[in-house]
Amino acid sequence: MLKAEKLSRIYNGTPALSDLDLEVNPGEIYCLLGANGAGKSTTIRLFLSFIQPSSGRALVKGLDVSAEPLRSKRFLAYIPEQVMLYPHLTGAENLEYFSALAGHDGYSRADLEGFLRKSGLQDDAHHQRVAGYSKGMRQKVGIAVALAKHAEALLLDEPTSGLDPEASNEFSVLLGQLRDQGVAILMATHDLFRAKEVGTRVGIMRRGVLRAELDPALLAHADLERIYLEHMHD
Amino acid sequence: MLRHIVRKEVRETLRDGRFRWGSALVGLLLVLSLAAGFAHRQEVQRSHDAAQAMSWSQWLDQGDKNPHSAAHYGVYVFRPVSTLSLVDRGVDPYMGVSTWLEAHYQNPFEHRAVQDTPAMARFADLTAATTLQLLIPLLIFLLAFRSFSGEREQGTLRQLLSLGVDPNRLAWGKVVGTGAALSILLVPAAVLGALALFVAGPGGGAVEGEAARYLLLLVTYLAYFGVVTLVAVGVSALAPSSRAALAILLCLWIANGLLAPRIASDVARNQVPLPSSMEFQAAIQSDLAQGFDGHPDRATRQAMLQDSVMTTYGVASLDELPFNYAGVSFQSGEEFGNLVFDRNFGALAQRVGEQLELHRRLGFLAPHLALRSLSMALTGTDPAHHERYAAHAESHRRLIQRVLNNDIRDNSRRGETYLADASLWAAVPEFEYQGPGVRWALAGQGTAVGALLFWLLAGAVLARAGAVTAARRA
Repeated sequence: MLKAEKLSRIYNGTPALSDLDLEVNPGEIYCLLGANGAGKSTTIRLFLSFIQPSSGRALVKGLDVSAEPLRSKRFLAYIPEQVMLYPHLTGAENLEYFSALAGHDGYSRADLEGFLRKSGLQDDAHHQRVAGYSKGMRQKVGIAVALAKHAEALLLDEPTSGLDPEASNEFSVLLGQLRDQGVAILMATHDLFRAKEVGTRVGIMRRGVLRAELDPALLAHADLERIYLEHMHD
Repeated sequence: MLRHIVRKEVRETLRDGRFRWGSALVGLLLVLSLAAGFAHRQEVQRSHDAAQAMSWSQWLDQGDKNPHSAAHYGVYVFRPVSTLSLVDRGVDPYMGVSTWLEAHYQNPFEHRAVQDTPAMARFADLTAATTLQLLIPLLIFLLAFRSFSGEREQGTLRQLLSLGVDPNRLAWGKVVGTGAALSILLVPAAVLGALALFVAGPGGGAVEGEAARYLLLLVTYLAYFGVVTLVAVGVSALAPSSRAALAILLCLWIANGLLAPRIASDVARNQVPLPSSMEFQAAIQSDLAQGFDGHPDRATRQAMLQDSVMTTYGVASLDELPFNYAGVSFQSGEEFGNLVFDRNFGALAQRVGEQLELHRRLGFLAPHLALRSLSMALTGTDPAHHERYAAHAESHRRLIQRVLNNDIRDNSRRGETYLADASLWAAVPEFEYQGPGVRWALAGQGTAVGALLFWLLAGAVLARAGAVTAARRA
């Protein structure tokens, strides 16, 4: 579903990402771990064609995103660290707008409420202006947009940083549901615990290079942390 | 998709307090200025009608006198005021309102409104045109300066682009959305204007085809607001931040709306200098007395006329002519004067025309100049309409002189006291004027129309380039 082939990006002579090969299949959650500047966000931004690769290709469902930036995004949903919404519009209005712009403009009020409910947003918030939303509530609207546009792949950039443990756990449960529905998920995160919990695979990145790929099911949490730190300190 | 972008823009705008207050204020100003324009036009038209009727009845009731005395007594005519001047008064305040049709001279129009107004009051002179040409563009800039930069700053632009939205379509949606929000203010104003025109009625004869003129006026302002919106969205997309976008737009607003008209006047004055009023009058006096282009001086002309008339009729003395020579002499003086006036007023009108065309050409740099020219032309308050009225008044003056001089020639004897009565005064037709239609008004406005179309295209290119750049920088 998501595939990187020798994907590289150089910023002012410094490689931010070097020869990344990576594949995320439907029903998988691939967690990219690494410090700030490891190339996690760069990878995600390349898949969204916000930036262009210096060499290599990023493919979404077989489409080269540099060649087909608009078409490839139809299958994607993007949830950044902070989901940005229009503060003067309500949660439902934001969802309606974003899904309409993604090409799904036939949703009824009940449909929209359904997506928001599925994403875990409490009913009384659906028709309140987003200006008063907490971060967790915004993330839920982000998930609702992904549901409404029937995204087949999800790109998440530090989606749980700054969420309280309960909200963070709730978010993981939602990701698990999406995975079970066959969505391919690529998530950049600092959160080893969360990666171990929900990830079907974990990649460790440092200075633009994918150093290791692990199966968290085969590791204890302590092992994951040890391996991660080994890669950070050599 | 476009529909959704437009609806969201309108919805956000309407929930924004700045828009509500800003448009309420501008809307109020627009209503007040239309009402003031309506009242002013009605009052001025009434007083002009009354003054002209009074002057005409004084002419008819002037009693028995020599026709040449009557020619010096003269008639005053008062320029009718276009009903559409309730929208745009154009150069009306700077042009005189009346002229005196008397013997021997084509008088300039007198009594300019600005002469009766203290200099500072000119800035307080609020007309619908000022509101439409300056305040609405400012409101559009305030509405649209964040259209792209704000979305970039709040992060929603990246969110939108992650959905696979075409940035061009987004820009187009924002332009139409701004227009849709603004129409809440502008549609009622346009209806109100139409209503005021309807109540004022077609009258005064200043212009013809008011309805067509008003419709084209709406189209013109709509096109201009389109330019302003396109530029605002384009600048918002290209500027590094909302603050920068606002600063750039305010600079453009000042340059286009406030500085350009002043600079254009200076440029026009420099490129096509006009004679001062004194120089102009002196040139006419000199042409009349000394002659021009091979026409001899006054004394020679009079001697030549006497000779030629006496030769034609085979007489040795003017007293032997079968008619009164005084009438022939007066009329010949008039006709020479007409040559002089045509030559001098014609040259002046041509230079004024060149100045105005220069203004319109500068409209390619500052679209406000093109809009101003079109607005004045359509409302019938531009110099061309004044020129046309003045020409009609002058030909009526010539008609009066001809009727009176022919009467002297045919009905009096040389050296006798001759008094004509009311029947002669009534034989002079009353002055009537029928203003031109919209075709005539637009005939000289090709450059202004071109400048406005050029800016629509330039604005569209700017907005498009901005959208693509903003998408790249998201």
